[in-house]
Amino acid sequence: MLTYTLKRILQGIVTVWFIATATFVAMHAVPGDPLANQRATNEQIQRNLEQRYGLDRPVSEQYVVFLGGILRGDFGISFTQENRRVNDIIRENFPVSATLGILAVAFAALGGILFGALTALFRDRLPDLVIMFLVILAISVPSFVVAAFSQLALVDINVYLGFSLLPVAGWGTLRHMIVPSMVLGLGTMAYLTRLMRSSMLEITSSDFIRTARAKGLPPARIFLKHQLRNAVLPVVTVLGPAIAAITTGGFVVELVFAIPGLGRYFVEAVQQLDYTVIMGTTVFYGAFLVSMVIVVDLLYGWIDPRVRVE
Amino acid sequence: MIVANDAPVLDVSDLCVEFDTHGGVVQAVRGVSFSVRPGKTLAIVGESGCGKSVSVQSIMGLTPMPPGRITRGAARLDGVDIVRQKIVNGEDVRGNRIGMIFQDPMSALNPTMRVGDQIAETLQVHRGMSKRDAFARAVEVLALVNIPDADARARQFPFAFSGGMLQRAMIAMAIACEPAVLIADEPTTALDVTIQAQLLELLEGLQRKNGMAIVLITHDLGVVARVADDVAVMYAGEIVESGTVDDVFYRAAHPYTLGLKAAMPSRETSKSVGLMPIEGAPPDLFRPPAGCGYAERCPHAMLVCGPHRPQRVEVDPGHHAMCWLHHEDAPRGTDAVYRGGRA
Amino acid sequence: MSVAVRFSPADFEPVTARRQLQVSSRPSLSYWQDSWRRLKGSRRTFASLCAVMALGAMAVAGPWVWSVDPAAQDIDQISQAPAWPSSALIVPPYTPWAAVTATPTQAGDVVTNLRLAEPASTQAVRLVWEPVVGAAGYVVYRSVYDTAPDRALGLPIGEVLGADQASFEDRLDLEPRRYWYSVVVTDENRAEQSAYAALTVDTVRTVSAGDAELRGWVEDATVLAPGDQIDLPYHPLGTDYLGRDMLARLLYGARVSLFIGVVAPLLFVLVGVVWGSAAGFLGGRVDQLLMRVADFVIALPFLLFMILFKIAFGIGPGESGVFPMLVALVLLGWPSTARLVRGQILQVRQEGYVAASQLLGARTGYLVFRHMIPQTMGVILVTLTFAVPSAIFTEAFLSFIGMGVAPPTPSWGSMANEGIRTMLSHPHELLFPALIISATVLAFNLLGDGLRDALDVRMRGRE
Repeated sequence: MLTYTLKRILQGIVTVWFIATATFVAMHAVPGDPLANQRATNEQIQRNLEQRYGLDRPVSEQYVVFLGGILRGDFGISFTQENRRVNDIIRENFPVSATLGILAVAFAALGGILFGALTALFRDRLPDLVIMFLVILAISVPSFVVAAFSQLALVDINVYLGFSLLPVAGWGTLRHMIVPSMVLGLGTMAYLTRLMRSSMLEITSSDFIRTARAKGLPPARIFLKHQLRNAVLPVVTVLGPAIAAITTGGFVVELVFAIPGLGRYFVEAVQQLDYTVIMGTTVFYGAFLVSMVIVVDLLYGWIDPRVRVE
Repeated sequence: MIVANDAPVLDVSDLCVEFDTHGGVVQAVRGVSFSVRPGKTLAIVGESGCGKSVSVQSIMGLTPMPPGRITRGAARLDGVDIVRQKIVNGEDVRGNRIGMIFQDPMSALNPTMRVGDQIAETLQVHRGMSKRDAFARAVEVLALVNIPDADARARQFPFAFSGGMLQRAMIAMAIACEPAVLIADEPTTALDVTIQAQLLELLEGLQRKNGMAIVLITHDLGVVARVADDVAVMYAGEIVESGTVDDVFYRAAHPYTLGLKAAMPSRETSKSVGLMPIEGAPPDLFRPPAGCGYAERCPHAMLVCGPHRPQRVEVDPGHHAMCWLHHEDAPRGTDAVYRGGRA
Repeated sequence: MSVAVRFSPADFEPVTARRQLQVSSRPSLSYWQDSWRRLKGSRRTFASLCAVMALGAMAVAGPWVWSVDPAAQDIDQISQAPAWPSSALIVPPYTPWAAVTATPTQAGDVVTNLRLAEPASTQAVRLVWEPVVGAAGYVVYRSVYDTAPDRALGLPIGEVLGADQASFEDRLDLEPRRYWYSVVVTDENRAEQSAYAALTVDTVRTVSAGDAELRGWVEDATVLAPGDQIDLPYHPLGTDYLGRDMLARLLYGARVSLFIGVVAPLLFVLVGVVWGSAAGFLGGRVDQLLMRVADFVIALPFLLFMILFKIAFGIGPGESGVFPMLVALVLLGWPSTARLVRGQILQVRQEGYVAASQLLGARTGYLVFRHMIPQTMGVILVTLTFAVPSAIFTEAFLSFIGMGVAPPTPSWGSMANEGIRTMLSHPHELLFPALIISATVLAFNLLGDGLRDALDVRMRGRE
């Protein structure tokens, strides 16, 4: 288990290096002058700025400086916001995105497992049909549409009630977090529900469930101790990619609900071509996602005894 | 201590099971009756798909319903029908009065639960034992089925066990509550021959010790000859012949039984003659034949066999066969031919 | 049972003529026959297949059938909700109207006899009233809601100063609809009185002949005489915030969105199949190298890199940005297919029947076409079907955050992006693109489900 963990972490570091390199290459392929937006009114200022951002050095040297910065955990200074360090931007805004993402993942995982188990229990009966219909709808509606219309609905509900049931936008209290995280997690929840359902149905017809029934165990015990635990395994394996999808999908929700998260910052940085912020946030997100996938893999090893030994 | 008691502990009568499939209704079991006495072993033999597994699994409530359906029949455990009601005196009879083991031990155990816990679970549910006591008892039972280092093994997960060990663990699970009947559904099919022999010995030993009845489902006549007291031969969802192991092996009264024996390798099989396969395939149970299911493949078939279902005839005391050749009008000559074993 | 039946000796004659031994009551089907049967058997799948084909037909033929220019702006009908076809009354060109004055004869804090000087039209609403003695002036309010229930007068659209003023002309963004006008008297401190005079006005859409020609509704203005009715350009799904026809934009957007949604998956699945089968067949070092590359690409955060690639390629002036998005999707999309195909090929290579076929002297070509392709075809087809909705989602997502198709090229995602700005006042501008994206994705998802059930070899025999 220890060697496995170390191996996974080493792989993760190599992957982050690859992500950083890909980011660097992509950003240096961007046409145009990175300082074009700056107020470089004359040659001297232009040269000073280039020096400040290290743009006067050869690309290979810039790459080394960039990698060295990442190793020290330093992503440089923003291009468009004078004297603001990218690290500060991440430190201020990432916790918001992470909170939103964690809530959404929790909502998606719990909901997916619950509804998946329910539909499998009520296979081909009304609850199953209703939930699966909603699931296919939730998979087919883009998150920004859900976000926009839930916001619209929230406005109407608040108007109708005459008081603010839940805030329409913004961030701060738990009340602000409920709707955005549900919207963000909805698609993944639908996906996990389907996965859980098919996994449950597969387990239902498996030999060891037949054994459990032959042992005369009460149905509730069979369901909880034998079926659920084994059915959850495939759900856990896709949690890593699901976290990735949810965190990056958070951009839209942050835009619609005016949440001051890193995703919204990233979109703004892209629009303003703020090179250091784009590179910094991309590498940071990449590293975060890689570590989440590793954590999920290790978690899986903890749940499934078969993996533990390998 | 065995009480030689002739009253059957499990008595199945006229069991009929159907399945809905997208091609129509399959009549998998068509009026099956058998019984087993305490301390005795009944072997149900037949080829794949003849309905032997479905019969016992439907009694145990293990066939999915729907699409499965028991249309008729009863299975009496000590006189109480358990086909429709598994709870007797507030206790599920399964795992308690009837234990069951399956063909593929590799997939029959929960991969994410410790073997000891899976055995202990039965005791907790049926005996009301605490988790701790049940686990201790599970270790004892594992030792009883000859698993070395049972204490450590009980704490392992199924993937750490070999196939033969897993089947032992399955047996331990099935007998933990000292059931009156043990149903073994092709218990040795998935295992290699030396392990088979060990397991059969183990089962016989356990039967001698606690006098349980065993229903052994198999297609291996060698296994039958070794351990069975009584034999029921199944074909196309019916029991075509039943009797003691000697009756069926030496005085076979049904052409299908003869065909099975001819298809089985033995010391007498000479190299020149070789094995005699039974030509053709079993009938399509989507549209079961009106008469004898074996008529199409039977070398002794008569005109009556096609349209009319043969009756169950007692050829000798306790030895039954479903064949028109035993009808009083049937030609005796043919009778002599196929009952060569007794002539 | 049959105890009572008597049999004759003839019944016991041996059967001589052997009938055919066994006839299966179910016909045997080939893989594709069986798949097609399953596909047709599921009404849902068949319907989704039809829907997908209809969407394709819509994208191809739609812009011909509904040949309205998606870039043309109809400034008379901006953010128009879907409605029946409308027409306008031809009126003489607008002539300025001299303000009416009258000597106030009545006292009080509210004007009386508020009325229309002439029929209300979208050209102008001309109000006259009896002025009040001592008034400093009059404020005119206009509301699109009934003012009576909660005395919300709406928008103050103008003020006239002087007690003798007795008229007001409203020309502010008039639409053909019902308005609630109110006139409030102000005192010498220019404070408004609480009492008000109200008038409900229904405006008629009017246009002058010259304007009609200017907007291209008629060839020649001289054929029109005041009092004629002229049909306006019809927008069945309304218009967007720039007055562009929603239906035309949706149809052109279908070309863009479906082009990206179908071509990108086709390309990256193709790349994935080639990559994966190369890895699967060649094995060894090559396999390891190819799969390591796939591992790295799969680890890239997808949406972030879609955005990065998009800006790396850049969009020049006048370009739509469809091509860069296509390239980015292919660059990032192929690895999952490659993994899948490699796995399938490794699995098939291990199968006993392939080994048996090899022992019987089958050549590689035969193995590939007889065993490998039929075995993997289903999986590839299913992957392709599920890749379409995710590509459509990606396009919509990127266009939505302004990183996708550049305006004015319509795509469903960019339309939704524009629609969300006017979501509160004109929800139809978001609703229609959202609906069509959802319907398309739904159709492809259902089709993918159906295909998986029909083609999945493991599903065979189960039902």
